[in-house]
Amino acid sequence: MSEHKQMLADAVTRLFRDAGDAAGAAEREGWRAALWSQVEELGLPLLLVPEDQGGVGGDWGDVHAVLHAAGYYAIPLPVGESMLATHWAGAAGLELPSGATSIATDLEGELSAQSGDFRFSGTLHGVPWGRHVDTIAAVTTCEGAPHLMLLPRAAAQVHQAQNLAFEPRDRLHFDQAPVLAAACDLASLFDQCALMRVAQITGALEAALHRSIDYVKERKQFGRAIGKFQAVQQQLAVFGSEVAAVACAARAASLAASRGEAGFQIAAAKLRANMAIAIATSTAHQVHAAIGFTQEYGLRFATQRLWSWRSEFGNDRYWSERLGAQLAQRGADRFWSDLTERDDAVA
Amino acid sequence: MHSFNFEPVDLPAGIPEFRREIRDFLKRELAGTPAAQKANSWAVFDAEFSRKLGARGWIGLVWPKAYGGHERSAIERYVLLEELLAAGAPVGAHWIADRQSGPAILRFGTEAQRLKYLPDMARGETYCCIGMSEPNAGSDLASVRTRAEQLSDGRWKINGQKIWTTQAQRCQLIIALVRTRPLDENNRQAGLSQFLIELDTPGIQVRPIVDLVGETHFNEVFFEDCLVEADCLLGTEGEGWKQVTGELSLERSGPERYMSSLALYLELLRVAGPEPDASLKQALGRMAAEIWTLRQMSLSVAGQLARGQDPSVEAAIVKDLGNSFEQSLPMLVQGLTEAGVRLEDDTDFVKVLSYLLQNAPSFSLRGGTREILRGIIARGLGLR
Repeated sequence: MSEHKQMLADAVTRLFRDAGDAAGAAEREGWRAALWSQVEELGLPLLLVPEDQGGVGGDWGDVHAVLHAAGYYAIPLPVGESMLATHWAGAAGLELPSGATSIATDLEGELSAQSGDFRFSGTLHGVPWGRHVDTIAAVTTCEGAPHLMLLPRAAAQVHQAQNLAFEPRDRLHFDQAPVLAAACDLASLFDQCALMRVAQITGALEAALHRSIDYVKERKQFGRAIGKFQAVQQQLAVFGSEVAAVACAARAASLAASRGEAGFQIAAAKLRANMAIAIATSTAHQVHAAIGFTQEYGLRFATQRLWSWRSEFGNDRYWSERLGAQLAQRGADRFWSDLTERDDAVA
Repeated sequence: MHSFNFEPVDLPAGIPEFRREIRDFLKRELAGTPAAQKANSWAVFDAEFSRKLGARGWIGLVWPKAYGGHERSAIERYVLLEELLAAGAPVGAHWIADRQSGPAILRFGTEAQRLKYLPDMARGETYCCIGMSEPNAGSDLASVRTRAEQLSDGRWKINGQKIWTTQAQRCQLIIALVRTRPLDENNRQAGLSQFLIELDTPGIQVRPIVDLVGETHFNEVFFEDCLVEADCLLGTEGEGWKQVTGELSLERSGPERYMSSLALYLELLRVAGPEPDASLKQALGRMAAEIWTLRQMSLSVAGQLARGQDPSVEAAIVKDLGNSFEQSLPMLVQGLTEAGVRLEDDTDFVKVLSYLLQNAPSFSLRGGTREILRGIIARGLGLR
C-alpha cells in the first residue's frame, strides 16, 4: 500500500473509531448525517474511481481496508454501496452521482428510451439505506442491451424494511421515473457486492472476537477469569482461527479482484465467510452468556450484522452451487491446475 | 489487540514453468499408480522414487550447494511439495529429511555432520526419522525419559525408548531428543539434547507397530546401553528443547497439513460427473472454498517463512484448520454419495474413501495434537 493509501486507511480507522456508538444512535435516531459528511470529505465514495475521472484511484485492497474498519466499528452508512455505485457510474460513462448513493441487484421492471431520455417503471428490492440515499445504481436491460441506471430516490415510493441489524433494506417502486442511463458492459456487479460484504464481515468478526477475548479475561467464575479455563480457551482458539481464515480469504479475493476476473475467489471467500459466521457468532454468544443476549450490550452490533450479511449477496446455497457447478463442469483432472494457475498467472 | 498475519504472497516469476517441469516428471513416473496408493502420499516409502527425485535436484531444494543442495527459494520448494502431494507421489522416504532433519542439521549441526549426511539426503539415499515421542511423553514432550550420559572418553551412553517413530525400520538415521541432565521440576524444558544417531548402531532395536489399517509405518525404538561418539550430539547440549521447537514450526506449516484428503475430493469430482445434483454441487463448492482458503493461508505462511519470519501461531492455525478439514472430508463424502454405500466394492473411489476414513483420525494427532495447537493459538490470542 502506498503512503497515500496508508494515510487514507489510518484516517478512516480514526474516523470510524471516534464515531462511538454510531450503530446504536442510528437505531434510535436514524441517519447519521454528520458522519456521512465526514465520509464524503475523505472521498470514500470516489475510492474506486480512477484519478483522471476525479476519483481516488484506489484498488480493492483499499476498499477492503476501509470496509474492514466500517465492519469493525459497525458504521451504519452505505460506505461500500456508495463506492460501488460511483464506480459503476464512472465505468458506464455517466456523470458521477453526488450525495449518498446505493445499489440494487434485485429488481424487476422496464427501462424505456425515447429520444435519449430514459424512464424506468418497476421495483428495486432490498436497497441498502434506500430511504436515506439520493441515488441508486442498478443494471437492467433496455432494447436487448444491459444499461446502468442512476435512479433518483426522490422519484420512488419507498416501502421501509430492515435487516436483522436494523440496517435499512428498502423496497423502492418507480413509475415512469426519469432516470440517467447508459449502455454498459459491467460484468460481475453482484460479485463486487459480495466482496464488499466480505470485507465488512472480516471487520465484524474481528470485533466480535476482540470483544469476546476482553470479556473472558474480565468475567470471573469459580474464583478465576473464565478465560483461564481450557474449555473456553479452546473454543476461542477455534473462533480465532475462523476469523483468520476469513481475513486471509478476503484479502486474497480483494487482491484477485484488483487484478482482474475474480469470480472464483470471491465465491470461495463469501462462502468461507458465511461458514465462519456460524461458528463465530455462536461462540461469541456462548462465552458472553446472558449479558451478550441483551439489547443494551454491544455484542449484537457485530452478530446481528453478521447474521444479516450471511444472507446478503449470496448465502451458502447460492455460492456453493455456483462453485460446485463450475467445478463439476471442469472436472477432476483440471481442478488442481485451475487452482494453482489463478495464483501463478500474476507472476 | 493481536491480529494474525495472513498477508497474501506474490509468487515469483518462473513458477508456471517449474510447475510444468514437475508435472511432466510426475506424469511419467506415476503412470499406472493405483488411486489408493496416491491417497496418503507422504506415508508411502519408495526409495527408488526418492532417488529419482534426488537425481532431479528436488530434495534439499533450498539447501546450500556445498551440502548437495540447490539454493533455490523457499517458495519454489513450497510449489514442489504441493505438486508432489497433489499428484499423490510416494514421498514418504525422504520427506522428513527434506522437511525437518536436514534443516535441523544445517542449522545446528557441525560442519562435519553437514558434510557427512546432507549430500546423501539430497540425493534421496539417506532417510531420517524423528525420535521425539515416548510411551510417557506425547504432547508433554518435556517429560522424555530416554537418557544420555557422557562417559569419561567423551562418548555418550543412551538408554530408553522412543515410540510412534515413523519409518524408523526403513531409515538410516534418527534425531532423538533425550535427557542429558536430570529433570528439574521447576524448569522441565532444561537439560534436553538432540542426538543424530545411525540406526545400525549396536544397542538399538527397532520394532514395528501395526496400525489399525494393517500397515507398519510407526515403530518402537529401544536404546540399550547404546554407545555413540561425542560428535553425535546435534547442536548444543541442554538446548534440545529450543532446537526442537524451531523444528516444529517447519513441521506444522506445510501443504501436507491440509492436502491429505485431496485425492478423495478429486475422486468425488470424478464420480459426480459434469452435472451433479444440487446437494452434491453444494458439497463440492463448500469443500473447494475450504481448500482454496487453506491454500491461501498455507502459502501466506510459506511466504513469511521465506522472508525469515517465524509465524509459529499462524502455522498452528493452518495445521488445526487444515487437519479439521482433511479429517472431516472422508465422513462427509461417505455420507454424500451412492458410491460410498458399499465399502466392499473394488473401485478407486471406494478404495480411496476406505483408506482415508481409517487414516483420518491420525491427521489431528501427528505433528502436534489439536488440543496442543489450540493452546498455542489461545496463547496467541493473549489468553494464556
